[in-house]
Amino acid sequence: MESKSLYDESRGPVTIVNTGCCHDCGGRCVLRAHVQDGKVIRIESDTGPGPQIRACARGRAYRQRLYSNERLKYPLRRTAKRGEGSFETISWDAALDEVAENLNRVKKEYGNSSVLFLPGAGNQGMLHGPLGPGLMLQMFGGFTRYWGIPSYEGALFASMATYGTIKTGHSRDDLLNSRMILMWGWNPANTVWDPETALFLAKARENGARMVAVDPRFTDTAATFADEYIPIRPGTDAAMLIAMAYVIITENLQDQTFIDKHTIGFNDYKDYVLGRSGGVPKTPRWAEEITTVPAQTIADLARKYATNKPGALIAGWGPARTAMGEQYSRAANVLCAITGNIGINGGYAAGFMRAYSSRETRHLQPDKNKKAVDKSKGIPSANPVENNALPRADSLYKLSGGTNATSARIHQSRIWDAILTGTAGGHPADPKLAYIVASNCLNQYPNANRGAEALKSLEFIVVHDQFLTPTAKFADIVLPVNTFMERSDIAPPWLGSPYYIYLNKTVDSMYESKTDLEICRDLAPRLGIDPGFFEMSEDEILKMFAGRRPDIDDYEKMKRDGVVKIPLSEPIVAFKDQVKDPENNPFPTLSGKIEIACGHLAEMDNPGIPQVPAYLGHKEHYDSPLSKKYPFQLLTTHSKIRTHSTLEMVPWLREIEAHGLWINPKDAQKMGISHNDMVEVFNDRGCVRIAARVTERIMPGVVNLCQGGWYQPDENGVDTGGCANTLTDDTHSPGGAFAMNSALVDIRPAGKPGKEAV
Amino acid sequence: MAQMGIYFDQSRCTGCFTCVIACKDWYDTPAYTPGRMRVSCIEHGTFPDLFAAYLALSCGHCQNPPCMAACPESAISKDPSTGIVTVDPNKCVGNTRCPEKCRKACPWDVPQFAPEAGARMDKCDLCADRIKHGQQAICVEACPMHAIDIGPLDELYQKYGDQKEAEGFVYKKRFAPAVVFKPRFYKIDGGNP
Repeated sequence: MESKSLYDESRGPVTIVNTGCCHDCGGRCVLRAHVQDGKVIRIESDTGPGPQIRACARGRAYRQRLYSNERLKYPLRRTAKRGEGSFETISWDAALDEVAENLNRVKKEYGNSSVLFLPGAGNQGMLHGPLGPGLMLQMFGGFTRYWGIPSYEGALFASMATYGTIKTGHSRDDLLNSRMILMWGWNPANTVWDPETALFLAKARENGARMVAVDPRFTDTAATFADEYIPIRPGTDAAMLIAMAYVIITENLQDQTFIDKHTIGFNDYKDYVLGRSGGVPKTPRWAEEITTVPAQTIADLARKYATNKPGALIAGWGPARTAMGEQYSRAANVLCAITGNIGINGGYAAGFMRAYSSRETRHLQPDKNKKAVDKSKGIPSANPVENNALPRADSLYKLSGGTNATSARIHQSRIWDAILTGTAGGHPADPKLAYIVASNCLNQYPNANRGAEALKSLEFIVVHDQFLTPTAKFADIVLPVNTFMERSDIAPPWLGSPYYIYLNKTVDSMYESKTDLEICRDLAPRLGIDPGFFEMSEDEILKMFAGRRPDIDDYEKMKRDGVVKIPLSEPIVAFKDQVKDPENNPFPTLSGKIEIACGHLAEMDNPGIPQVPAYLGHKEHYDSPLSKKYPFQLLTTHSKIRTHSTLEMVPWLREIEAHGLWINPKDAQKMGISHNDMVEVFNDRGCVRIAARVTERIMPGVVNLCQGGWYQPDENGVDTGGCANTLTDDTHSPGGAFAMNSALVDIRPAGKPGKEAV
Repeated sequence: MAQMGIYFDQSRCTGCFTCVIACKDWYDTPAYTPGRMRVSCIEHGTFPDLFAAYLALSCGHCQNPPCMAACPESAISKDPSTGIVTVDPNKCVGNTRCPEKCRKACPWDVPQFAPEAGARMDKCDLCADRIKHGQQAICVEACPMHAIDIGPLDELYQKYGDQKEAEGFVYKKRFAPAVVFKPRFYKIDGGNP
């Protein structure tokens, strides 16, 4: 070995700083940054004692994001039309003066409800990101914001309606107790879903569990782990789950003891499934027509799931990210319940699937001495604009937890409509100014072209970000924010894992970038706000946050180690106590039982969210009249190289996987489209021009464009950046499910790569 | 010391490319320049009877390396104590003066050249320097699936068996690459094994 040692320290000593990856994926992983002469020169991940929290390619590639030449370096002021991307560099003082002037003016002229705060998930630390700006705007007199999160709103609503909680998951080690694992619309090989998930799936498979994947795509998860792959037509998952219930009920395979003891409403569901309460019997043959899954396959799967207990039905969020997606998620939860797979090792309750609840702090945990608030008369809020607003008609406001039920908020998919139509359009406010933090909302909310129109109509927009995103291009003032490598923070894990990561500041802030907290520190006095909180140091605040967590017992040690792993004496199993001792441990629903038929839903009397799960159509379903005009169903799934639209600018990751439209060869051939040919994907909302990725790994009739590509309209309004939301619908289901996987589109060839459209 | 070898558990690999990026980061390999670790996807079948597997491949450090035999400059050598095959960048004359004879001689396309003219060959050395410093190879340490291992070939055989082929990898007896696999083969009858 003659080559020079990699540990050559002639350019200065190499120190290793413990930090962690902290964007909005299903991870939060350990990173160890090797720093020499103030610069990160290499990155490793967890090399410590197990279980290791190993970062994926995204975190490993972070050096190219930290040092990207595309980083925002200085505050910017817009010099051309919104969206054109022309800016001049200005000083921090000038930028903050202009932001303050506009906030003060809008407050005076229109009131605080016209201040629209759009926080995003671009930063996932406990401190940095939207927390500071939100607090600041609250002290400023309040703001209007959204309810509903695209990732999971349908699944969350269904989880609350069925179980009264989002804590329905097991820790991953419990997969080793499952005899069968149903991976429904769930692709943790790409989306991570807690860092150890894929590894435990591999171990479960090696352990002899039978594994089945249900998905319109032959995902990496299906390819790697599944013994059986069942493709299903998008948006029809509820029909298959209901037909499985039909088989289980008619063959008397249900766990009647469990049903009698722990659930209410089984007979109502039975009546629906058997066709006694109107409608046809929901037989496997009925479902075959709808789902394309052969009746025999449905029946076999139902029998196997009901008789190979314990079985884990893991209901991914993607199929709930469809119009009427609540129904899929409800039907999955109910299938877990009628087979008695809940509260036992190796089972699973589906639902929202939080397991280890490190995000719920001590002060947020239920306080028995606290008086219950009658929310029907108004919901208290620390945000003056929302305080005492009535609950939304279709909200589960009687339950504790879940989505804030206030009617003062606008569903996220309707934000563009609210900006364009305001109170006249039935919205609770008339937004005039948008304050956008860590959010590429134009790209990530549905219907990007409508979003561009809406952003053009506002009086003022300020954006905090690290890059000049498609959203930042519409700002009047862009404020450069540093990355997690340039500040300290604590990252709570995602859904299920017992650990925290402490992110030690690794290098100084690049260029003139600041933390969101520092920005508030400088902006608060300009708004007449006491900057008290914002003047606290990072360390003081983080220490305070850690102090509220009963499971962080040594803050200084966590800081030194960069991670605290909380040992579990046994796997976490949701509802173990409820099932073992129901007398003393009711389910947190209104009835105290699992609600197969949900009383809260029954009271709403909304056919879009019936009391028992049902298969429902909608205006962009595969069999809708619109499907004659737009015959392809579009999926907008997660890519393995991005975290939503974050990490778009990282060359190492771009090299791994080219962005493109997944299309089955059968469909491609009909249109004369070859791999890498340019195509146009379009509907009434917009058109995307992108390379075709011809692959067997997607169902005929279905196309996939991974969400997160950056919106880039050309002079004709054709999006050449491959933003999936150029095509998605900006409406939502009554329970809040987003329709991101329910857009109908058509496709036409658009020439060879690099050439103009034909 | 004995011949070092590499183990890859194909049944676990999800194609996440973490090993590829970890290697590129450690060795500072730019994007669009071939790295020392490469992952390829092997797909078979037509919808819905499908098979897909990934193959992570760095170098087999053959017992009779064809690249070494093919190099006209004697730039490639095999360490007598570890069997690790390395290239001396000072001896390699680059791909304007040599038609990449080493790459063409290797059935697995291991010796790689950057896209720019005159690029010298680069290849995996099993992270000899990291191992010398008591660390694991970067791909071994990085893999979230714990699907890669590096060690003396005899020990790998003992730990993992002596399967020398995987989907996408054909063993060549005359070169005797020091590889061990837990493969996931495509079966003509469809389903995953």
